[in-house]
Amino acid sequence: MTDGHDIALKSRALLIKSLVEQVDLKLSPLTGETGLSRKITNAETNRPGLALSGFLERFSNNRIQILGETELTYLKSLPGEQRCASLVRLFDMGIPCMVITKGMNPPPEVTETAERFDTAVLGTTLTTDAFVHSLVEYLEPYFAPMTTVHGALVDVYGVGLLFTGRSGIGKSETALDLVERGHRLVADDVVTAYRMRRGIIMGTSNTITQHFMEIRGVGIIDVTRMFGIRSIRVRKRIEVVVNLEDWNNDGDYERTALDEKTTTLLDAELPYVRIPINPGKNLTVISEVVALRYLLKVVGINPASTLNQRVLEVMKEGERVRYRREDYE
Amino acid sequence: MRPAEQLVRVASRFESEITLVKDAVPVNGKSIMGVMMLAAEYGSSITVEIEGPDETDALKAIIEMFDQDQEA
Repeated sequence: MTDGHDIALKSRALLIKSLVEQVDLKLSPLTGETGLSRKITNAETNRPGLALSGFLERFSNNRIQILGETELTYLKSLPGEQRCASLVRLFDMGIPCMVITKGMNPPPEVTETAERFDTAVLGTTLTTDAFVHSLVEYLEPYFAPMTTVHGALVDVYGVGLLFTGRSGIGKSETALDLVERGHRLVADDVVTAYRMRRGIIMGTSNTITQHFMEIRGVGIIDVTRMFGIRSIRVRKRIEVVVNLEDWNNDGDYERTALDEKTTTLLDAELPYVRIPINPGKNLTVISEVVALRYLLKVVGINPASTLNQRVLEVMKEGERVRYRREDYE
Repeated sequence: MRPAEQLVRVASRFESEITLVKDAVPVNGKSIMGVMMLAAEYGSSITVEIEGPDETDALKAIIEMFDQDQEA
């Protein structure tokens, strides 16, 4: 798609403080306010076992460092001086923060050294495994490849339809119509899309304008208040891109959909439907049909190939009838 | 909201694609929701990117609008 604007990855960062505020991670600072204003710039984690033992080549110093039972037991096994030296080496690399899992108490040298290097040490009651899972889940949207698309995203029968098309073609009006019929609005006008693992594209809205819409000629409306809580959704996987177009006599529109068209968004391939607009066309019903057709395809039903099959069978049957009629004994 | 509306009105008069960028977040300059999303406060700086057949006129009109706004 051409009208997406990629949001630069390097401009994104998350304060350690926001991490602590995320209740699911069950984090609490062990070093007070120290280092809470540092930033995380990626969603990866590292267990610095090798670094603690002195091997610092290829050490990922920009990642969150996680100390589990193994690392702490190792640290405790070291004589005091060596323990200090090993920690100094680690914090000197400028790590964003350190997390101690399972609610364990680190030796005092850990927090002392961290404070010297103005770096936060956070404790979590979660196990290392559970913490890493929750952390990745939480950080993924922040650091995933991301772009903004001019369009509207609606959950229609559980299928995420992303409406695109030129300004003023009626994307918001289509979305509004769908909401009125009981479907759920995710974002209007500016859709923020990000790519999760396995190429899944999620769509959401900017928090400021979330669930507000501009309807030309009317002004701004508050969808949640007007249509109720059931009419909105915070985020949704984008499953089909529906491009609304001005009717064009030469337009090569889909007639059978024996071969599915696709478009790419953030390097992921998505089914792509072009709908020509002309007077008297009910875009709402067409959108519902696009969603239902997608659902049928998911369970393995393709109307175009079913019909094709039927026509082929009738043709074959015709041949058999002709043969029997013409071949006398 | 009023300045945003004014900007969108001016931008919508032109055929060119007009993109506003603040803190690396780009939005469509012809969309009121987009411009509001930037939450650009007085004195903040925004980059305007214009591309299309009437880009010079569009840029002139947008600069003019900001100049006038200051006088008011």
